[in-house]
Amino acid sequence: MAKLVVFLTLISLLPLLCNSFSDDKPSDRHILVLLDDFAIKSSHSLFFKSLQSRGFDLDFKLADDPKISLQRYGQYLYDGLILFCPTIERFGGSIDAASILDFVDSGHDLIVAADSNASDLIREIATECGVDFDEDPAALVVDHTGYAIAATEGDHTLIAADGFIKSNVLLGSKKIEAPVLFRGIGHSLNPSNSLVLKVLSASPSAYSANPKSKLTSPPSLTGSSISLVSVVQARNNARILISGSISMFSNRFFRSGVQKAGSPTKHDKSGNEQFLTELSKWVFHERGHLKAVNVRHHKVGEVEEPAIYRINDDLEYSVEIYEWSGTSWKPYVADDVQVQFYMMSPYILKTMSTDGKGHFFTSFKVPDVYGVFQFKVEYQRLGYTSLSLSKQIPVRPFRHNEYERFIPAAYPYYGAAFSMMAGFFVFTAVHLYNKPT
Amino acid sequence: MAASDASNGSSFRNAFGSVLSFFILILIGVLAFSIRLFSVIKYESVIHEFDPYFNYRVTQFLTKNGIYDFWNWFDDRTWYPLGRVIGGTVYPGLTLTAGTLWWLLNSLNIPLSVETVCVFTAPIFSAFASWATYLLTKEVKGSGAGLTAAALLAMVPSYMSRSVAGSYDNEAVAIFALIFTFYLYVKTLNTGSLFYATLNAIAYFYMVCSWGGYTFIINLIPMHVLLCIVTGRYSSRLYIAYAPLVVLGTLLASLVPVVGFNAVMTSEHFASFLVFIIIHVVALVYYIRGILSPKMFKVAVTLVVSVGLAVCCATVAVLVAVVASSPTKGWSGRSLSLLDPTYASKYIPIIASVSEHQPPTWPSYFMDINVLAFLVPAGIIACFSPLSDASSFMVLYIVMSVYFSGVMVRLMLVLAPAACIMSGIALSQAFDVFTSSIKFQLPNLLDDSPVDVNDATSDNAVAPTAVAKTSKSEDTTKERTSKKSKKKEKEPVEKPPSKSQAKKRLLVLPLEASIIAIFLLMLLGAFYVVHSVWAAAEAYSAPSIVLTSRSHDGLHVFDDFREAYAWLSHNTEVDDKVASWWDYGYQTTAMANRTVIVDNNTWNNTHIATVGTAMSSPEKAAWEIFQSLDVKYVLVVFGGLVGYPSDDINKFLWMVRIGGGVFPHIREADYLRDGNYRIDSMATPTMLNCLMYKLCYYRFVETDGQGFDKVRRTEIGKKHFKLTHFEEVFTTHHWMVRIYKLKPPKNRIRGKAKKSKSKTSSSSTSGSKRRGTKRNPF
Amino acid sequence: MAKSTSKDAQDLLRALWSAYSATPTNLKIIDLYVIFAVFTALIQVVYMALVGSFPFNSFLSGVLSCVGTAVLAVCLRIQVNKENKEFKDLAPERAFADFVLCNLVLHLVIMNFLG
Repeated sequence: MAKLVVFLTLISLLPLLCNSFSDDKPSDRHILVLLDDFAIKSSHSLFFKSLQSRGFDLDFKLADDPKISLQRYGQYLYDGLILFCPTIERFGGSIDAASILDFVDSGHDLIVAADSNASDLIREIATECGVDFDEDPAALVVDHTGYAIAATEGDHTLIAADGFIKSNVLLGSKKIEAPVLFRGIGHSLNPSNSLVLKVLSASPSAYSANPKSKLTSPPSLTGSSISLVSVVQARNNARILISGSISMFSNRFFRSGVQKAGSPTKHDKSGNEQFLTELSKWVFHERGHLKAVNVRHHKVGEVEEPAIYRINDDLEYSVEIYEWSGTSWKPYVADDVQVQFYMMSPYILKTMSTDGKGHFFTSFKVPDVYGVFQFKVEYQRLGYTSLSLSKQIPVRPFRHNEYERFIPAAYPYYGAAFSMMAGFFVFTAVHLYNKPT
Repeated sequence: MAASDASNGSSFRNAFGSVLSFFILILIGVLAFSIRLFSVIKYESVIHEFDPYFNYRVTQFLTKNGIYDFWNWFDDRTWYPLGRVIGGTVYPGLTLTAGTLWWLLNSLNIPLSVETVCVFTAPIFSAFASWATYLLTKEVKGSGAGLTAAALLAMVPSYMSRSVAGSYDNEAVAIFALIFTFYLYVKTLNTGSLFYATLNAIAYFYMVCSWGGYTFIINLIPMHVLLCIVTGRYSSRLYIAYAPLVVLGTLLASLVPVVGFNAVMTSEHFASFLVFIIIHVVALVYYIRGILSPKMFKVAVTLVVSVGLAVCCATVAVLVAVVASSPTKGWSGRSLSLLDPTYASKYIPIIASVSEHQPPTWPSYFMDINVLAFLVPAGIIACFSPLSDASSFMVLYIVMSVYFSGVMVRLMLVLAPAACIMSGIALSQAFDVFTSSIKFQLPNLLDDSPVDVNDATSDNAVAPTAVAKTSKSEDTTKERTSKKSKKKEKEPVEKPPSKSQAKKRLLVLPLEASIIAIFLLMLLGAFYVVHSVWAAAEAYSAPSIVLTSRSHDGLHVFDDFREAYAWLSHNTEVDDKVASWWDYGYQTTAMANRTVIVDNNTWNNTHIATVGTAMSSPEKAAWEIFQSLDVKYVLVVFGGLVGYPSDDINKFLWMVRIGGGVFPHIREADYLRDGNYRIDSMATPTMLNCLMYKLCYYRFVETDGQGFDKVRRTEIGKKHFKLTHFEEVFTTHHWMVRIYKLKPPKNRIRGKAKKSKSKTSSSSTSGSKRRGTKRNPF
Repeated sequence: MAKSTSKDAQDLLRALWSAYSATPTNLKIIDLYVIFAVFTALIQVVYMALVGSFPFNSFLSGVLSCVGTAVLAVCLRIQVNKENKEFKDLAPERAFADFVLCNLVLHLVIMNFLG
């Protein structure tokens, strides 16, 4: 009998374990790379190799290959898409801008590298994601003070950018020492757009214009409002990387040394490799991907989850949050996860304590208000996937027999009522006895 | 019923009479029951309208979970997210009655479904109500009038409108409880028995359980007591009838959760306590007068009056202060609108918006009580000759109910029994006079031998002729005439013989006149019957969830409501929230089993105003309101395609008013063009852009190419438009119910640049539209 | 003036007392019972005024049980009073049975409402 019980518990635990640890792997495995021509495959091989070494399966196709398609029989064939085809005007096969956006909207990741003379198609995709490239097709980002010192004194379009976003989640915990080499088109973001982030911004002295022609009117994009590389995390947690330069992914930029103008230090190696590798880890969900499991709540001292709470109940709420490390789920450690007990507005807002093993918990008293409440965890941190848990739970008032009985203050009333009853019996007896007379 | 007549024959006749009246009563019961079955025969056995669906759902819960769970039921499927404590906010009488009925039948191994029991509860109780009417009228004016009144009540259209099979509402049992309570009160008044006083309190308890209209009783009876005292008709029977009722009734009423402490705290009940005190003072005065000599009594009066006056003044002052200190002077909104008919429309749009709460029109009087309206004055006169405690009570009852029904259509229901009783009395008295004058003269014509008027034998010999003469008309009239013969037998018992003799002599009319008058009365009765049957069959049997219309190419059935609710229950998640105007809340929870935001129990004005505001707002604002309430689907009722007039567009101004009452940025004037409510091309932009307009008329132009609204009889103002934040998910066959789903927030936020290759710089001119995080862009 | 009033009052009281002494014993017992009930009710009202009306249902049921008892006893008194002409045909036994029934209902309700 005991054996059976153990067996049953194991059986019941099994799917739980599977669910939480092995099945769901958010990292992408199959990635389609669309190229303008196959030369890019070799000229950018360092970047691709770093992906392949991390276990990704890359499928290189020409962007105008008539046989390419993202899905077959309604199933997506790939988990991610890399567009290294800044000049393509029309994709081959069944792919168009809308299908790529659908690909993103169904939760897949995307890397877009543009360049000067980026095609309308690429611009449209970027715009749909909230990134506005400079509309002048010939424009490049020019920086006369923050350029990279190179062998030939050029037009200062090769920029050594070091305006990184301060986020360990996006760029890894190791600080990027060397500036990143960038040559390409700048873009701007809508500041009210909360989904898109400027990862690499230009220096205050940069502007976006056609370096070949003379500047006649003030450039539309200037200063650090120019974004060089941006990432988007959509509401469904699909991640998009948009860069204004395809050459920054190239082997040449990866390997070359860099010295920023006006800076005495010369780095042997540019920051491109570290920057883009770390960023691609983020884009392909090897970092910053959270999941919450085992949301539990119950009354203090009980284990079963009730279908309904009563006002003023004491309850415990717990949730386990894990982060995907690229290979396995690691406990997420933070001290700012909050839970709300919410009905039109949060009645209770508590920061949960954690045991460092991914288990977050708290306990509180249900407010003295009945209604349909929700346990809400809205956890949105820069770079992390947004966690939005809500669980509906009704809270009922006291039952008729849950109110206090036998209140001391009411004893005189009880006495009166009972004395009336006693009086009634006495009176009945006396009345009946007295009747014959 | 035992007559005091000595002769054997007459006692046999009396026995025969009582058996006859027993069968007549059974027939009346059957009539009352079966006339209400038109709705089942013409449509089907379904629950009607809106509130009955809630009652049905509550009954289902009761039968499934038992009484304690029902009592403590916290319903999380309505008034999301507030929820509603059903057990504490519902009058449980009806549900408990039907639940008991169902339980009884099931324990007798008669497996009826809960729905069937609910459908037939109202007809069963209308039969009970007509029997109670018989009892009450019998106490007032004898059994002849009682039978007439019972027959009239069995088919009075006003009562029928609330008690056809399927109309499972509080009023169905409450009218029975009302009449029965009055009967027991009058009975106690006539007998002075504590036993009936106890029963009276229990009947009152049942009434309190059943309907909020119990305040009518607890105000009417004190008024009658006061009337009796003022007119010097105080008797100790009055004390026995009233004092225990107040004490026991108050206690029992407090036991009903929905009433609770209101039974002693609100002003509706204060009248009874005041009269309770007065009757004690009066009783004491009468007692002291009884035991003292007149001279000493006079001394006592002067002494007591001077002291008592001071005490009374103090008490009244305190009472007034207490009442005045409470908000709305301690009266609830509905009661206040009874006293001041303009109160509701001035202050509480939510009460005024219900058509039941509007003052009735003259045609509705004619429709609902028909010829009774003309017979009532005659009945009142009959009640004054002679005036007894009981008949003075009836007069007071009719006067008060006429007043109340003048304020609210719904209270026509209270008027109906009073009108029936009055008309019953009037008819029976009239028949009495006419038949006896015929009787008086007929023998004279046949044989010239002198006949003693008071001779009961000859009285009865004539009665069959009268019956035979008139039996060719309908059976109800037959009942009435046969009642007459009974009535006559009772007459000598009820009144002192000398008096009736004198009266009869006095009232002898010419034979021809009598015959014609009887004929006319028959005609009147027949007309009433025809009207009632028509009302039962045509006017009041429609269940309002299934509609029919007759046109040149036959009968059309519109079953759109159930179609929509079935769609909801099959195609949406169990926990999804559906927003609609509150009229459809009960039906949605009962039929589709989905959570609603507001429903017909209009207890939270703010919540309703929120929904009203959402409906009156432009799409985006509405989307945000609904999103904050976790609404997934929005349901609107639209009659423009088939010409169903009570749709949401016609109710829309109420939404605006109720919404604007709480959220001042909604202004009624914005929706009116020069004070006119219109939806054609002259409508205001606010109107044309509000959510309700868009949801109702979305794609409407595709139906006929014109966008012609059959209800408003006009072409709609804005024909081609797109919905940005809502998507149509279901529209019923006749477009009467349209269900929309809220679009989720967009996955990505688009950049500012135009999709088309416009070369205009998109620097900072546009784009500030989407602020915040969870807003839906275009 | 004051003297005459007080004299009147004394006369009145005396007359009342003498008139009352003539009432039969069983009625006097009922009167005693009524006074007991009313007195208990008054004590409770005073207590409520001192302590506050918190267990309002208990207060209500306590007071109403006293008032109810008193009222029912008065009803009984009216019915069994031989001098009362209105109830000649009502047997005292019947009146008492009604009284007992009414009391049972009252106390049942009180018990229900007390807690």
